[in-house]
Amino acid sequence: MTSPTTDDLQAITEQVWLSYLDPEGINPFLPSEEAPGMPCVIAAVSVTGAWEGHVVMSFSEPASKLAASALMGMEDEEVTRDDIADAVGELVNVIGGNVKSLLPDGSLLSLPHVATIDEGVNKWPAAVEVCHLRGSWQNEPIAISVWTSKSTG
Amino acid sequence: MALTQQEFAFVSGLVRREAAIVLETGKEYLVEARLLPLARRTGTPSVSEFVARAQRERALADQIVDALTTNETSWLRDREPFSAFTDIVLPGLMEQRTPMQKLRVWSAACSSGQEPYGLAMLLEETLKSSRQYEILATDISAEMLERAKNGRYSQLEVNRGLPVPMLVKYFQRAGTEWQVNDALRRNITFQKVNLAAPLPPVQPFDVVFLRNVLIYFDLETKRSVLRRIRSLMRPDGWLFLGAAETTIGIDDGFERVVAGRASAYRPRAATTAPVGAMRKG
Amino acid sequence: MVIDDSRAMRLILRRIVTQLGFEVHEAGNGREALDLLESMSEPPQVALIDWNMPEMNGLEFVSAVRSQERFRQITLMMVTTESEHGQIVRALAAGAHEYVIKPFTPDAITEKLALLGLVPSGTLS
Repeated sequence: MTSPTTDDLQAITEQVWLSYLDPEGINPFLPSEEAPGMPCVIAAVSVTGAWEGHVVMSFSEPASKLAASALMGMEDEEVTRDDIADAVGELVNVIGGNVKSLLPDGSLLSLPHVATIDEGVNKWPAAVEVCHLRGSWQNEPIAISVWTSKSTG
Repeated sequence: MALTQQEFAFVSGLVRREAAIVLETGKEYLVEARLLPLARRTGTPSVSEFVARAQRERALADQIVDALTTNETSWLRDREPFSAFTDIVLPGLMEQRTPMQKLRVWSAACSSGQEPYGLAMLLEETLKSSRQYEILATDISAEMLERAKNGRYSQLEVNRGLPVPMLVKYFQRAGTEWQVNDALRRNITFQKVNLAAPLPPVQPFDVVFLRNVLIYFDLETKRSVLRRIRSLMRPDGWLFLGAAETTIGIDDGFERVVAGRASAYRPRAATTAPVGAMRKG
Repeated sequence: MVIDDSRAMRLILRRIVTQLGFEVHEAGNGREALDLLESMSEPPQVALIDWNMPEMNGLEFVSAVRSQERFRQITLMMVTTESEHGQIVRALAAGAHEYVIKPFTPDAITEKLALLGLVPSGTLS
């Protein structure tokens, strides 16, 4: 089985935009070779099993907000950080799932992982934090957190 | 930026000439919404400029016709005509025709192919190889016919009104898309046909599906399309139109009949004699 | 009933089926959905079920519901990114009635519900 290509990603992305972000087909996602600015929100899913790897989406802050308001049908001002995490998490989940269908049988998809870089906050929309350790190393702050998607109760 | 009157006139003239489709004033927003993705895809800054380019470039004009003439993309979501087809029309035909007679079905505006493949699935499931059938799938758009012939559908497309047992049985994955199996394709012939012009000579049909096409034509064109189609139907054949369409007040040669929960149209007995003669041919 | 671990997806599905006149109950995974079913006086007509969820996934939920006679009336429709041919066959074998692949347009959900006879065809645009 061949690996997913840019064309595959484009086909998948087009369908996701038509379904959730641009149903009228008037604000499509436009591929471009220009280097993007520093991303602010990162969303990822991992694939394990017969094929192992990750599917990652990165957004500028305004892009993540636009995605959340379009996906959830909210006004821009209403959008909270949780909404953004849920929305981009679901987007990467759908895109990741479609990428997985191109991979060998027996691959498994992880639940989505969303990171907001400016705050150093890690968040899995469907997970709870188990513990964390904050500190600094060579005067730079570091935060380590452990998250689980299984109920601890 | 809104389309000017002249630009809209060019587009509506184009689709009227090429596809006999009437775009009335007031449909400017529709034209803009459909053409904007085309403009972007071709790197043209605005819909207006795209229309200007299309006046010089034939290929772009074709794209406009395609963008404005595609319609039905669902498979079998309209349960009424398809139930009538499998529960009433096919059992009747199986009684009336000898087992050796192939059933002939025409999907007269097949667009990207969902209707003829959907009909083929229903025929496979209903006839269960007890007799042969053939489907003629025609469309005005060469691009649409090519798509239909390829029988490859995106994930979004197979989601639309296709019962999942049919997806599993008649399709296989091909990259990000789904490919129709050869078992369905082998009984379908694809052909480019403009319903608004004289039709090529063919054997008469038992069933014709012409759904959501007439609505785009003016009265005179509707009348001539219906007349031509009638001349290609068996005298006891069936015509299915879209739910918002009828032959009433347009072509008296058809009679409306109730088929289950759907309306169908059949050639009137008085007009069947000359058509009936074709059966011997 | 809408069963999906993503709040965003539950919101999208809720909006679609509410417009069709359904009253909606939500669950975040299969376990929650089973608990919810137990607590309901009347089982829902239809469950829209994601596959990949924590705790109990959609496939396990389908098997669990199918094993109980009293839930026989519930129509089970998978709504998931799992789109391999073999995966869809597995879901049908486990007892799912219909299947929508994500991403989907609102029409896709409405049309599948119409195929299942849960929405009158007149509802279709």
